[in-house]
Amino acid sequence: MSATEIIFYAIAAVMLLSALGVTLAGNIVYAALLFIATLGGVAAVYLLLTVEFLALVQLLIYGGAVVILILFALMLTRARERPQALFGKSRPFGVLAAMGLLAGLIAAAVTTDWVSPADRDGIEPVPFEAIGDVIFTVWVVPFIVVGILLSIALDGAILLATPEDEED
Amino acid sequence: MPPIEHVLVINAILFAIGVMGVLTRRNAILILMSVEIMLSAVTLNLVAFAVYGKVEFGNFTGIIFAFFLIVVAAAEVALALGIVVRTFRNRATANVDEVNLLKW
Repeated sequence: MSATEIIFYAIAAVMLLSALGVTLAGNIVYAALLFIATLGGVAAVYLLLTVEFLALVQLLIYGGAVVILILFALMLTRARERPQALFGKSRPFGVLAAMGLLAGLIAAAVTTDWVSPADRDGIEPVPFEAIGDVIFTVWVVPFIVVGILLSIALDGAILLATPEDEED
Repeated sequence: MPPIEHVLVINAILFAIGVMGVLTRRNAILILMSVEIMLSAVTLNLVAFAVYGKVEFGNFTGIIFAFFLIVVAAAEVALALGIVVRTFRNRATANVDEVNLLKW
């Protein structure tokens, strides 16, 4: 087992355990902190898969923007005096459904005969410049569309969260 | 590198954890975090297939898809948190089972 694999499995273990913590933690703030750890683990896996570009995007967008937004929303909606239950009434069914889905997914992933040469010594690193070339030539129209989508969504979010004059 | 099956199984576990969070939690923000975990698992899958796959078709389609997915997820989280804050202001709750105005 090479050093890369050991690092990969260690990072995956941290990622999965903190994701489990997000869904099981009894405190919302702990869940949010474990969520940050999960996203960091995902970024580290990108880095191990030699896609530095996506690791940076992940850290910037998720580690920067999304986590700050979620923490703000937590602070804005925690104005409750009494402690409240964090799990719904349908919890056993939810756990059962997730287990069933997991079994199906793992069975599909293991039994499928992947054509890709997984036993190569290494994978080719993905260079930054090539990604930039492809985004701004082949994928330029989707890139613009996604930019428009993002600005519309952010405008909508501002509109939603702005207090309006209360009539009632 | 680990074989692709191991990467896929890890992503499947991550996705199932996200599904479990969505189905069991009742706070809207915790549900949102679980949705983000599910999206991360799917994005990781795309990247794994792109990186382990053949190089001949540019090798970048999965990576660009993952990039777009991250952007769309960011837009989604901003909108959803706006809705949560608005709901909290109007109904004084962030729990999805207490927002039952449209429930028949």
